[in-house]
Parts: sequence; C-alpha cells; structure tokens
Amino acid sequence: MTTLHSFSQPRLAAGCRLREMEGEPATLLFPEGILRLKGPGAEILRRCDGQRTFAEIVAEIQAQYRSADPRQIEHDIESFLDRLQKRRVIDL
Amino acid sequence: MSTAPLALIAELTHRCPLRCVYCSNPLELRARSEELSTETWVRAFEEAAQLGTLHVHLTGGEPLARGDLTPLVLAARSAGLYTNLITSGIGLNEKRLSSLVEAGLDHIQLSFQDAEESSADTIAGCSAHAQKVAVAQLISETRLAFTVNLVVHRRNLDRLEEIISFAERLRPHRIEIAHVQYYGWALRNREALLPTLDQVQESVAVVERAKERLKGIKIDFVTPDYYATFPKPCMGGWARLLMVVDPSGKALPCHAAGVIPGLKFENVKEKSLRWIWEESSSFRRFRGEDWMPEPCRTCERRTQDFGGCRCQAFLVAGDAAATDPVCSLSPHRHLIDAVLKRINLSPLSADIGSSAEPGAGNVKALDTDLALRQRWAYRTNPAGVRERPEL
Repeated sequence: MTTLHSFSQPRLAAGCRLREMEGEPATLLFPEGILRLKGPGAEILRRCDGQRTFAEIVAEIQAQYRSADPRQIEHDIESFLDRLQKRRVIDL
Repeated sequence: MSTAPLALIAELTHRCPLRCVYCSNPLELRARSEELSTETWVRAFEEAAQLGTLHVHLTGGEPLARGDLTPLVLAARSAGLYTNLITSGIGLNEKRLSSLVEAGLDHIQLSFQDAEESSADTIAGCSAHAQKVAVAQLISETRLAFTVNLVVHRRNLDRLEEIISFAERLRPHRIEIAHVQYYGWALRNREALLPTLDQVQESVAVVERAKERLKGIKIDFVTPDYYATFPKPCMGGWARLLMVVDPSGKALPCHAAGVIPGLKFENVKEKSLRWIWEESSSFRRFRGEDWMPEPCRTCERRTQDFGGCRCQAFLVAGDAAATDPVCSLSPHRHLIDAVLKRINLSPLSADIGSSAEPGAGNVKALDTDLALRQRWAYRTNPAGVRERPEL
C-alpha cells in the first residue's frame, strides 16, 4: 500500500476502466469485478488520470459540491481512494 | 424475475494444445465442426451486453485455437463488455498479442502448471512451460491487466512456496491460486490429484505468508471444497450471476451442468440469451430456493451457498437436487469422507493405484513422472484435432 498524499497522482490501474453509457449509472470495470458508482464516485474517478494531484481532485469536487462540508468531502475522497487502492483498482 | 448475468463465460472451442489432467472441460468434447461461427458469437456478445452483462471471459479449450479471436475480442469490447482472455499462452506471439490489445482486450489470465519445467510439462501432458514463460514476458510489457493462474493439487502442492515465487517473477498484477475442483477430467483423475489434509493446511499457511509478503500483487485463493465444512456458492448460485456458452452454442448455468440428466439446454443459435436466461427450464430449474431439499431448505446458510453445487450433487450423490455432498450437514457426506480417508491414510498407494503389485521393487521408484504419465487420463482433444507430440 502506498500512502495517499496531497501530491499523489492517482490513476486507474492496468485493466481497470470506467464505463459510462447512456441511460445507466457509471460502472467501474476491473478484473473479476465491477463497482456501480453512486453519487460523486464517477466524478472522482474521471479525474484520476495520473496528472491531477489528490489536492487538485479534492478542490475540484469541493467546487462542484459547494453546499457540502469541504473537510468531509476531502475525508470521503481519501477513504474512497484508499478502498480502491486496496482492491488494486487505483495506483498512486 | 432475476437480474442480468454479471458475466458471460464463452467457451470458444474445446481444442487445446495442452492435455492437463485437471481440465474442467467435460469428458465429451465438442468437435471443431460443431463450433459456432464468428457471426453467432458476435451476436451472442451483443445480446449479452443488451441483457446487462458486463464481463465476458473468453475461454476454452484454448481460445487462441480460434483464428478469429481478434475479431471476437473487438466485437465483445465494441458491445461494451469487459473482455478477459483465459489462456495457456500457446499460440501467442508478439504480433498476435498486440492485435488483441489493439482490439480492446482488458485482462489476460495465463495458466502455469508448476514452477519447474519437467513437472509442469508432465501435468500438461506436453511440452509447454518454456513457451509460457516467454509469453508471460510479452504480456508484462503490455498495458493489459495480467493474472497468473496456478492450479494446485497433490502433485505440486509441496512446492507451493516456490511456485508462488516463480509466479511473482513473471510480474503479474494478480495471482490466482485455485485448488482443483473435481469435475470433468479432474474427477476422472481424482485419486491422483486430491491433496492430503496436511497439504491443504500447509497451503493455507503458505498463501497467508505470501499475501503478507507480496503487498503489490493481489492473491485470490480458492480452497478445495472436499475439505470444507460447508459447500462453495457454486457459480454464485445456479443461474444467478453467470451464463456459460459452450463451443457449440449450448447455454449452461455452469461449465459442468451438461452431466445432469433430464435438463434441456438451449442453443444460442436458436434462442436469444435473454429468453434462455429468463425463461428456459434449465436455467429456472435450480434458481432460487424452491427446489431445495432439507437440510438446505431451512438452513440459514442457504442465502450464502445456495445449496452448493448441483453438478457435484449429481456426480457424487447421483441426485442433482440433493444438498451438495461436501456439506457437513448433507446425508451424503460419508461419500466424500470415504474418498478423503483413502487419500489420507495412504496417499502413496492411492498414487500408485490398486494395480501395483505388492513387493514390486521400490515404492518410491514407482512414483515417478513416467509412472504417472502411464496412469493418468490425459485430457484428449475433440475428434479430428492433431495432438502435439507427447512427452
């Protein structure tokens, strides 16, 4: 496990991809599994391009969800990415 | 009404250059002349995607034996399916691999029989190990998700630690270690393959240590159900998550379901995948809980293991509607225990078989690769397929 830092640049791991089709919720596809994404999950993963840093992703999501507590957003994104890294879906 | 199958398992062909003694293919293999056309497979992939299926596993036999594998990958990916190739690697070169990657392949699973060439080739029944190692090198240079599949049994379990180290050096993202499941050719060779209790317990410890050590590689481990207290949730429940289509187009709820008598399996050439999934009698036969006998019917585990495996119930207990005989609560558990007793009391004589003459020299000497090769039933090929030269 790599520790997530503000300067980490998360990206989808090899063989993991986001499926976004008309009329259905976004789904993350990976070896032997899927994850149906709810809420801002797809918004976060779309930004995991290996370029944006964790801090930049957090800032963009905070800007998009202005009514939510920014610290809560950061915490949620951190635990979401940690979980996905444990499942080898995200590389840091 | 059930939800869509999560994955379609497409057995593209039963032809295979390997002759592995643990092969899960049925004993009755489909001939090349029976295989579906490219067009029919393409239509099946499109129908699966429309039904809501997300993954397709291209398997066999050896899927590379199909000359149209690249167009099939392209069709599956174009239909929106996550595309996985399960292969021995024999028949894969740099050019063909890059065409598969270009076509949109997402994930590749490459199987190994052992870490050491001669024993790997003995299990595979042909010379394949060295080529597989070369193929692994090619795969690790692509952007594909790469899984190394290891099938373990009594013949190679004592080397599990070194087999895992070998797999690690191939630089995969995942290692899948699966104990043999006893269907098809593996069931025929059960006496030679079933591990002892000591080996199974040691394998669990070895895998735990490897998981601790290999943090960067994901290890999936399938334990042998003969030694379990409760059955495996076979296929995630009958016709609940998965659909298998065999090389001739026959749709099955499980690879081995063809052995169950009295079920009519529909063909994708004649019926839509949706109709087969939702309406066909074979898919509905053991779906849900209505079919369940006691002790399953009132068991609180029925929503976790779905009564276990219908094929195993038929193969061991002679009744596909019985509780899986590996379950400790099954009235047929004694049939499994009798096999385990035989294996554990005298694993070596179980190796040698009842034909070994008493006092016929050194027992150890009989337990050689040569003796094994003569005794095992190697998987054959469908009629008309030229075999690779034997060892």
